[in-house]
Amino acid sequence: MSATSRYATRTSARGSRRASALGPGLVALCVVLAVVAFLSVTMGSRSIGLSEVLHALGSLNNDGSTNSTVTLELRVPRTLLGIVVGAALGVAGAILQGVTRNPLADAGIMGINAGAAAFVVFAITVLGFRGVGVYVWFAFAGAIGALLLVYSIASLGREGATPIKLALAGAAVTAGLTSVTTGIVMTNVDALNELRFWQVGSLAGRYAPILTGVAPFLLVGLVASLGFGRALNGLALGEDVARGLGQHVTRTRAAAFAVVAILAGAATAACGPIVFIGLVVPHLARFICGPDYRWIIPYSMLLAPIILLLADVLGRVAGAPDELQVGVVLGVLGAPAFVAVVRYAKLSEV
Amino acid sequence: MRAWRPLLAVAALSAVLTGCGNDSTASDKPAADAGPWSFTDGSGQVVKADKTPTRIIAHAGEAAALMSFGIKPIGIYSDESVKTDPNLKNLDLTGIEILGEEWGKIDVEKAAALRPDLIVGDWWPAEKAHSGMEEGVDEKSKKIAELAPVVGVSQGKSIVQLADGYADLAKSLGAKVDDPQIAANKKRFEDAVAAFKAAVAEKPGLTVGAVSPSDDKLYFANPEYAPELLDLQSFGLKVINPDKPDPGFPYWENLSWENADKYQPDLLLFDGRSFTATSNADWGKKQPTWFKIKAAKAGAVVSWPAYWLHTYGDFATELDKLTTAVKAADPNVGN
Repeated sequence: MSATSRYATRTSARGSRRASALGPGLVALCVVLAVVAFLSVTMGSRSIGLSEVLHALGSLNNDGSTNSTVTLELRVPRTLLGIVVGAALGVAGAILQGVTRNPLADAGIMGINAGAAAFVVFAITVLGFRGVGVYVWFAFAGAIGALLLVYSIASLGREGATPIKLALAGAAVTAGLTSVTTGIVMTNVDALNELRFWQVGSLAGRYAPILTGVAPFLLVGLVASLGFGRALNGLALGEDVARGLGQHVTRTRAAAFAVVAILAGAATAACGPIVFIGLVVPHLARFICGPDYRWIIPYSMLLAPIILLLADVLGRVAGAPDELQVGVVLGVLGAPAFVAVVRYAKLSEV
Repeated sequence: MRAWRPLLAVAALSAVLTGCGNDSTASDKPAADAGPWSFTDGSGQVVKADKTPTRIIAHAGEAAALMSFGIKPIGIYSDESVKTDPNLKNLDLTGIEILGEEWGKIDVEKAAALRPDLIVGDWWPAEKAHSGMEEGVDEKSKKIAELAPVVGVSQGKSIVQLADGYADLAKSLGAKVDDPQIAANKKRFEDAVAAFKAAVAEKPGLTVGAVSPSDDKLYFANPEYAPELLDLQSFGLKVINPDKPDPGFPYWENLSWENADKYQPDLLLFDGRSFTATSNADWGKKQPTWFKIKAAKAGAVVSWPAYWLHTYGDFATELDKLTTAVKAADPNVGN
């Protein structure tokens, strides 16, 4: 008896100490994000002197020089897109892991990437569209469609969309859509070549129109996501406990999925399926903040764009005069880094 | 796993062959010049056959070259619709089976039913493969190489070599290469070269660069692996050699759009496979740095016959267009 109470006191003390450190931690991450964003605007496959970048940024006026065009029309939108897309992927992953109580959950296993790819291929082969600007909207529709399909399949039956049914429905829909996409692409080299560019996951070639197209969705989704912390904490205790605490489990789940659909759908639409961020960042956030989703969500929201932008800057600097796609850099560098984290740090359970 | 794959393919193929063994054998006349036949492929290998091949399947431009000497293939595969392919669009293809109209895609089953005894496709030294059998095509398409011997002239250092090589191949296949039309085309080509050289000589400072834009980067052509660009260089035109071609695919130097203005030619050669009258304006709208290439900004953009020329006639026609562009070009546009 005395042992349990001592344990209880200790955890709550730890909890409050965490809270007092986590607030300033968020501020520190904001500063880091600002620094990384600055790097992303000042560094790239083209070398532009710092003073020229600052001049372009300071006047916010394209003086017609290539350096100024590259800074204002290529790097600034690219950086802003990296921030909102990264944040969206990180948060979507965190929410999905919480709702499904599945440590491997990310947008990919819920059918979002497969749905987006299927619609992009449909746009290329059946409708004959070409170009990133058009793919965005098809990918968005496909991602949302796939997620709706997964959710409604998993909702069949009395107990609703349980974590296990969501995981299985996600896997089934992904497999189904991927085989259709592969089937079409195998017989249509042209579609394969178009899809290949989209499918790597890249911030290149996406300019202001794509940013302004998806940013409203992402911003709304990000703001909404901040309200899910308490509900996810309840769900993490198990459905029955959550219900016992007075939570409307089905409604929470549906709302959470709607937010994920908007966030991951718009992010995938804009940049292609960027792997890794949505899976790993929530684990890093959980490692820092412990199991409280009221902290995990904002931490994911800041950690994810930091990592995404760093990987993008690296790919641009290392590849000059060419560029490496951020999806490739993340996979190559991120995977071993994550293995190291798993190996040497004790990760919190979902 | 790797060992049984080809075996399986052979088994499947022989089933196809026996299946259609009894149709139209009557049309097989023994060739006048029965052989034995041999030809030195672009890869350097000597390809031999007991009798001179008569049932030929050829890739688009190669087929057009053979047809210019009166050798009609029984099957053609091309990289785009035969109605738009620059080599084929003006030819009468009646009686020829179309086996593919997309890069990387050949209907090998249909090809097998034709029972070819020779496959003709250019040899690409950078990829060490024949047209239609390169890295990246449908795996199924590569099986066309199992139907018959494959020969082709090398996409090497000159279109002239390529055209002469196909004349030699046609000759070995029994064609008469002394048709007056052939001589006329060669004459037209020589005149075109003379006119081109004269135009270039008048603009000693003029530089050109060849590009192919895409959504995520700008591809800047490396003349070393583009025979027509090497020819233009040998005619005196200063075609820019990029200094960092992609080691894995040396046809291009890949430039991020941030570096689109790395080279500043006075005249831009735009990949003719995708060039249209509105290309320059379209890319200007799409890519903020496209017009940072001064030649693009100045509208000094002309179609580049990229990787498709095979005959003196076509080369003469394209050279005349380039001569016009060179005459109109301002050598002070770029750097």
